[in-house]
Amino acid sequence: MILSDLLGRDVLDGTGAKVGKVTDARFVLDGLPASEASLAQARLYGFLVNPRFHRASYLGYERRGLTAPWPIGRLERWWSRGTFLVLWEDVAGIGDDGVRLRPGYTRRSPVLP
Amino acid sequence: MTGGGKTFDAVLHILDRQVLDVDKLPVTAVDDIELSDLPEGPFPDGTPAPVITNLVAGAVLATRMFGGRPPSSRLKRIAWRHVAELGTVLRLNIHGEDLDLLWTERWVHRHIIGRIPGGSHDPQ
Amino acid sequence: MKKLLGLALGILTAIGGFVDIGDLVTNAVVGSRFGLGLVWVTLLGIVGICLFAQMSGRVAAVSGRTTFEIIRERLGPRASASNLAASFLINLMTLTAEVGGIALTLQLASSVHYLAWVPVAAVAVWLVVWRVKFKILENVAGLLGLTLIVFAVALFMLNPDWPQLAGQAAAPTVPEGEEPATYWYYAVALFGAAMTPYEVFFFSSGAVEEKWTVKDLNQSRVNVLVGFPLGGLLSIAIAGCAAVVLLPAQIGVTSLSQVVLPVAQAGGKLALAFVLVGILAATFGAALETTLSSGYTLAQYFGWSWGKFRRPVQAARFHLTMIVGLLIGVAVLMTGVDPVQVTEYSVVFSAIALPLTYIPILIIANDPEYMGERVNGRTTNLLGTVFLVVILAAAVAAVPLMIVTGAGS
Repeated sequence: MILSDLLGRDVLDGTGAKVGKVTDARFVLDGLPASEASLAQARLYGFLVNPRFHRASYLGYERRGLTAPWPIGRLERWWSRGTFLVLWEDVAGIGDDGVRLRPGYTRRSPVLP
Repeated sequence: MTGGGKTFDAVLHILDRQVLDVDKLPVTAVDDIELSDLPEGPFPDGTPAPVITNLVAGAVLATRMFGGRPPSSRLKRIAWRHVAELGTVLRLNIHGEDLDLLWTERWVHRHIIGRIPGGSHDPQ
Repeated sequence: MKKLLGLALGILTAIGGFVDIGDLVTNAVVGSRFGLGLVWVTLLGIVGICLFAQMSGRVAAVSGRTTFEIIRERLGPRASASNLAASFLINLMTLTAEVGGIALTLQLASSVHYLAWVPVAAVAVWLVVWRVKFKILENVAGLLGLTLIVFAVALFMLNPDWPQLAGQAAAPTVPEGEEPATYWYYAVALFGAAMTPYEVFFFSSGAVEEKWTVKDLNQSRVNVLVGFPLGGLLSIAIAGCAAVVLLPAQIGVTSLSQVVLPVAQAGGKLALAFVLVGILAATFGAALETTLSSGYTLAQYFGWSWGKFRRPVQAARFHLTMIVGLLIGVAVLMTGVDPVQVTEYSVVFSAIALPLTYIPILIIANDPEYMGERVNGRTTNLLGTVFLVVILAAAVAAVPLMIVTGAGS
């Protein structure tokens, strides 16, 4: 599976209703490194989902607390409003219809730590 | 080098960034990334999350732009274990020469540029 | 002392390197038709290129990332591929025009037909790109280009009616017999000529070639902020000469000989010799810059190894791109197409491609992950945003104006 297979996929809640599309995938470097000279393994932490904007986002103003330069920053924030993060634990399955979430999943803040 | 639990977003922080080899020689841009396989059907509770297995380059760039996807056998890969550092560029811990995906560079080097006099000297 | 010399050299190089065939032809055409009535556009373009060249240089020095890498990272593969296609094509047109300019200048100097000079010019450009160090290449072309100051000298020797020239510049009007649309068409062309995207591709890649760090930022700022405006004055002098000699005589600029005519009239053979050397250096220098830019843009988009600081075999695809680019330029010229016309089109198309290049630079210059504490200040951002509006307006207006005016005719 390559990342492009996931980007832009529909995201469905427990009842099968569409809640948005995958705009990005968050990873965390917390696995064991393969060797001393390698980076830690990157584990899929969750998906960024946006209810409206249906394309992969290359700017990410909303996730990093950036606003400058005005008005590009403002526009991009407005454009990507409503983006939320769902954790891997809340993913029930990935199939042809899209990414299915577990009932009672949590919408988290998309801001990067 | 580990990663210390750092968090990053793939599209924002990896895709389309420059990859440099251990000698800082540019290798490619990251055209896509490959993840470990997922179980078919519904995931049982506690299914381990997939991890990044490879950086991918080559034909996949065209399919990212125009849709579709190349057969897995045609993906040019750089194993994640060869990634040493993640910043505004991705640093590898190996030499570009060891990578299959640089075959076009080597071909042009061997058959064209290397044959023109002066090609292997420093500029004066 | 050494520092001061370096500074002076940098400034002189920036002055000499500012003018290329696009500036030469467009300014002469505009001067011969509108007098100094479009000087405000040149001034606007100078402020714009100072702002964005300096920004792209700062990004490259601080983060080590060049403009086309940034374009791909921030626009994604699809939008940046369209930018690549447009920029590469325009750059090829400019490269063709510059090589044609070299050949035309050699024709003026030797009275051997320019088509015979085209392959000579292309081989000479390639040899320099192949074998000469970046720093030498940049400085020699820039310094020789300084001889274009003869345009400014000629303007004084022509003893023009200064108040009248100042009046044209200060209160621009559309002259009788010219359509307003034509006036605006040339405004876009002048703006495109001053802000051609290849300048920032070259500038930011040059920062990496010369291994700039944060320490070099002050020098680069002085080079740009002093050198480019002085270079811009040369552009205005070219327009001024045309305004004084060609406009009253109703001579239209259709070839390089009309561009240099005022200088010959003012200073005779010696001045003519100077101006030919200047144009040769300016077009040769710009041919080098555009050839390199064709390699830079493609290599940086795909992540190939590039750079003059490497041996050619270590940047094989980069060098192959430049060879192919030059061959295409030669092939186009050999069809007998008029290089002056290629130039006129290339500056207008430049205007169209401006936004997709300058928007990502402005975005990254504000990104602390790349820039740390050296993100843009408020004033720079305000100016940058104002310029983006101007750039967008010029880009949108370019094609309709081209159609309405029949490309300015």
